[in-house]
Amino acid sequence: MAQSLAKEFTKGLWAEIPPFRLVLGLCPALAVTKSLENGIGMGIALTFVLVCSNLFISLLRNIIPSKVRIACFIVIVATFVTIVELLMQAYAYELFLTLGIFIPLIVVNCIPLGRAEAFAYKNGPLLSIADGLGLGIGYGLSLSALASVREILGNGTLTVWGGIPAFTMGPDFLPFKFLLTAPGAFVGLGLMLCLMNLIGKK
Amino acid sequence: MGDLFVLVISCIFINNILLAQYLGNCPFLGTSKKMETAIGMAMAVIFVLVLAGALTWIINEYMLKPMDVVYLQTLSFILVIAALVQFVEMFLKKSIPALYGSLGIYLPLITTNCAVLGVCLINIKEEYTFVESLVTSFAYAAGFGLALILFAGVRERILLARVPKPLQDVSIGLITAGMIAMTFMSFKGMV
Amino acid sequence: MREMINMIVVLTVLTTFSGGLLAAVKSKTEVQIENQVLKFQKAPAIKGIFPETTNDPLAERFNVKNENMELQVFPGKLPDGSKAVAFETSGTGFGGAVGLMVGINLDKDTIIGVRVTTHSETPGIGSRAKDDPAFVSQFSGKGMDTNFGVKADGGAIDAMSGATVTSKAVSLAATQAKEIYQKLKPEIVKQMN
Repeated sequence: MAQSLAKEFTKGLWAEIPPFRLVLGLCPALAVTKSLENGIGMGIALTFVLVCSNLFISLLRNIIPSKVRIACFIVIVATFVTIVELLMQAYAYELFLTLGIFIPLIVVNCIPLGRAEAFAYKNGPLLSIADGLGLGIGYGLSLSALASVREILGNGTLTVWGGIPAFTMGPDFLPFKFLLTAPGAFVGLGLMLCLMNLIGKK
Repeated sequence: MGDLFVLVISCIFINNILLAQYLGNCPFLGTSKKMETAIGMAMAVIFVLVLAGALTWIINEYMLKPMDVVYLQTLSFILVIAALVQFVEMFLKKSIPALYGSLGIYLPLITTNCAVLGVCLINIKEEYTFVESLVTSFAYAAGFGLALILFAGVRERILLARVPKPLQDVSIGLITAGMIAMTFMSFKGMV
Repeated sequence: MREMINMIVVLTVLTTFSGGLLAAVKSKTEVQIENQVLKFQKAPAIKGIFPETTNDPLAERFNVKNENMELQVFPGKLPDGSKAVAFETSGTGFGGAVGLMVGINLDKDTIIGVRVTTHSETPGIGSRAKDDPAFVSQFSGKGMDTNFGVKADGGAIDAMSGATVTSKAVSLAATQAKEIYQKLKPEIVKQMN
């Protein structure tokens, strides 16, 4: 049991790490990765939603009739997304302002719904939690990696939490502003995907 | 009237939903491998988004606001969109089978297209009136279609090119999208 | 038939449960959210308008009834002894809502300053007005008899180049503030004492 739990958890960190291996949830990956802080915030929000929705769907999997299962998944996921939205508004307001519309859009981000359909509806609660935790943390890590690259090269800073840069490149550094714009996000993610393919295809 | 025109231009080109607002990327990469599918998806999104924009605006104004339950927005909007997509699918199948034949397979994908829910939420957030919401919904969807069709055109060519192995498929797709986004950036300052 | 009933029951129970849960979370976080909005959106704007006050405008805020809406008013006592108020209006022109905090000197009936409060995720809209101090400073010192429209519409405000639409929304909000102030001044003065 412990072994299969570990397996479900670790697959999200490498073998199926979203959004690289499991190409879902691209929009927030592009939109919120201007600074590391936002990437981490989005990762935490998604992990919370994913773990809760996976747990509930897995607990209710024998009660939910298969014909209306998608509607039920949507209700459950949307409920937790709204909870995250309210909590963030109450306790991390600045982050809520920068993530903005991408918090409610976790509902259609495909990862929670995709995991509900592909995993939680077929497996027990413990395994589902492990699955959600792994994929959520994996997603957070990918976002953080991309955000770090974009923030360091694009702005010359690195902000972990609270809006104050933990690290700056110094006055001689000329920031590559292109990375902070929309095209920069697309190209950055594309190159990172290429790098992942290069490492994985050995 | 002039203002509405400016709104249309800004939604299609300057604030293009895909390339400037980062919404709807999954179907963007998923359905852009062939021109035919791209056109089908673009039409389906325009159709559904205009309906969804109108419907969610009415729900927000006449149900959520009077009852003071605006926090149920996300939940109710996504359910409305899901139900709407189902309904449109059934309706088209029965009454306009020809249209269903060309759009049918894209409809279920639209529920999880974040551009649809995104535009509905933007309409509410920016406090647009009903007419403005209709116009922005159409314009954003048209912008989505435009970007998707342009991208599909480029991608059909890429299939013939020799792309290095690690860059293939989604990776080169994202970089191409970046190039298109760059051209769209030059529209900034038009309004 | 049984399957049908089962489906309806499950969906109803699920939505009721989720509605209840959300209502509970909402009521638990409501006060905290209001504080956060005050702290992060309104406080910086007020600080920008009244850099120095002898009182705390945030703590002394009060509500004034404007038709069927409650208007939140922040009173400020300036170092030179004159009294001022700040309140928020919004210009719902094209391009979405732009929130504007307007500070008015009660003794002289002039605008002390304005600040854009809305944080819009749409790039370009509203954010320009925040980054462009020359634009918002045009309002400072203007009397209540000024036409706050942009110059193209016969008003006194220079629009930001390349952001006509945002400029219009801001001037619309300022005009609205003028109307509210003229209508509610007696009520505001009464509540301040």
